[in-house]
Amino acid sequence: MAEQKKSLDRIKKARDLWEENVLKKRLKRFNLAESPTRFYTPLDIRGFEFLDKVGFPGQYPYTAGNNPFDFWRAYADSAAKTDYRPDWGGAGGVGKYGGFGTAEDYRDYLIRMHAMGRKGGPNMAFDLVTQCGYDSDSPYAEGEVGRVGVAIDSFKDFATIYEPYTGDLEIDRVPSNFTINAPAAVIIAMYVVLAQKRGIPLAKLRGTPQNDILKEFIARGTYIFPPKPSLRLFRDICVFCTGNLPELNITSMGGYHIREAGATPAQDLGFSMANAAAYLQAGIDGGLEIDRFAPKFTFNAFGGSMEIYQEIAFQRAARRMYARMLKERFSAKNPRSLMIRQPITAHIGCSSTTLQRPLNNLTRAVVGGVAAGMSGALPGVFPPFDEPLGLGHSQEAVQLQIDATRILIYEARVTDVNDPWAGSYFMESLTDEIEAAAMAEFEKIESMGGAVAAIENGYMPKAVAKSAYERQKQIERQEKFLVGVNCFTGANEITVEVNRVVEATYDPERMRTAEARQKAKLAELKRTRDSRTVFSLLATLEQHARDESANLMPDICDCVENDATLQEICDVLRGVFGEFQQTRL
Amino acid sequence: MNQGGKIRVLVAKPGLDGHERGAQVVAYGLRDAGFEVIYTGLRQTAEQIVSTAIQEDVDVVGLSILSGAHLSLTRKVMDGLKAQGADDILVIVGGIIPDPDIQKLKDMGVGEVFVSGTPVSAIAQYIASAVSTRKNAG
Repeated sequence: MAEQKKSLDRIKKARDLWEENVLKKRLKRFNLAESPTRFYTPLDIRGFEFLDKVGFPGQYPYTAGNNPFDFWRAYADSAAKTDYRPDWGGAGGVGKYGGFGTAEDYRDYLIRMHAMGRKGGPNMAFDLVTQCGYDSDSPYAEGEVGRVGVAIDSFKDFATIYEPYTGDLEIDRVPSNFTINAPAAVIIAMYVVLAQKRGIPLAKLRGTPQNDILKEFIARGTYIFPPKPSLRLFRDICVFCTGNLPELNITSMGGYHIREAGATPAQDLGFSMANAAAYLQAGIDGGLEIDRFAPKFTFNAFGGSMEIYQEIAFQRAARRMYARMLKERFSAKNPRSLMIRQPITAHIGCSSTTLQRPLNNLTRAVVGGVAAGMSGALPGVFPPFDEPLGLGHSQEAVQLQIDATRILIYEARVTDVNDPWAGSYFMESLTDEIEAAAMAEFEKIESMGGAVAAIENGYMPKAVAKSAYERQKQIERQEKFLVGVNCFTGANEITVEVNRVVEATYDPERMRTAEARQKAKLAELKRTRDSRTVFSLLATLEQHARDESANLMPDICDCVENDATLQEICDVLRGVFGEFQQTRL
Repeated sequence: MNQGGKIRVLVAKPGLDGHERGAQVVAYGLRDAGFEVIYTGLRQTAEQIVSTAIQEDVDVVGLSILSGAHLSLTRKVMDGLKAQGADDILVIVGGIIPDPDIQKLKDMGVGEVFVSGTPVSAIAQYIASAVSTRKNAG
């Protein structure tokens, strides 16, 4: 101890001399008041305890990573030798995120993918109508049916999508992803009813509903009910799934949505942790023991900027912060409860890409891949460079993306070392700094009463909007530089054009006619179903919705099974819970 | 069209698209640039946008759309304004708008289309000059 102090004193003396004799001279020569760079020393991480702050990969506090090596790393060499192409749909995973038109359109698309060997489980994008809890015949639906995802009005639609999933692709063999939040309970109920009708034990169902409603109020915007009853629905899902679908992930929380909406890294991390704490508490309030359900919480992705050092530190800080919260606040003991499990880790965020000189986005995405590789994950180069050019990536952009990831793995060998920055004076200091700033945001929200209160009083959504505006002002004042956007835009710069073929995944004719076909199906359903039973089940749902202690999942399953529509179910809940009113800017 | 001093702008999010960052940043930026800005918030129907524009006596309606539904949603707003005899209101559009659609929007009568990377100051300049031209003409 005394030895260590002596050493630090010596370093401090040396640093002071360096500043006086070297740094100041340099500043004077260039007539600067402040150095444009920084140099870190052991003085910046005084009291650093390796085991406390970093630890070993796969051990608490998981700063150095969730595992000694990821599963893909074990197969990396054989993947190279067998020309493995990650075209979404490897054994046991989900296929590429997608969906359009009616259930029939999406089903036929999936059949085409299967014929190409892309046999992953359905990874469903829903249209905005479904995401906002309306049916295709709602006035709100006009022009939006089947556009950004598939339209689901009833269980029949849902079951149609699964027609090609039988035999080797039966739902006890392939997992499913549902990017759905406000009506997550309805979609999960459809999955349950499908399994029951097929005689598949619920305990065998795997998959991930996004089911992260709190971030919808802060970013993304597909909420329906106010936050408090939304959290009650979360509790009902959490308790129901823990009891009946133990292999299903309960939620896939999104930090990156919040960052894309404009949050700073500290806000992103602090807000995401506050949301996570609210979900975890909801499970506990539902009577569950923490280690029974926390292992089924996942994160969608964390990250979202070009600042590579910051994004590496961010991943380290996030893992440590979540592990500590679970251990200290929620007394979790199961290692799987303590880990941030996420399919996408560090990346640049789609909002880092630019429409101007778009091939530069490949360079940008590589930076994100390096950050991921250096912070304990697959160095995924994401997104494809043509992301800002409109919905749909070209084959060329996807090829460059896949190859860039391979080059980082096999040629640059970025992932040969776990947490390569561990112990760096700079990186440890930055990790501490991000964690402390995120903790300050987290505590601010806790002092307001938690995530629900900080949505109700408008704090979180407003803070994100303000940060987005601050960043825009910095760009316009040239305090932040974006190459090809607000600097280096002179007459001698050229835009590099690349031949680009957008893969015709979705039939535009089907997209155009989806609304009419969907409405016709819905009318037919309402004509032919047993509506008396439907209305009686909806009445029971309403009655139970008024009782805060009731779990609504069994009622929602009954409604779904008897062909109540998604909007009918949501309308009953709208009647009881009310609708969220956005806070003014 | 408002004949008073400050230019009044309605920033609107038609349809169910929840991507709000652009609309909010533009609303803040135009406010700081000296305009009177009303922001509708999410999930507005074309009818709601038209009636708010008329009630608030705005000079400009800015539509922010990132869902790909920009052609049909903009068409509805343009038709609605015309039906109400309010087609002297300048309509501008921002969002993820593929190149070929920009001309289609202008053919509907949209004054200008602003894609990502546009500084708010450029939008402010455009509005100031376009509105003064219109007022002088009227």
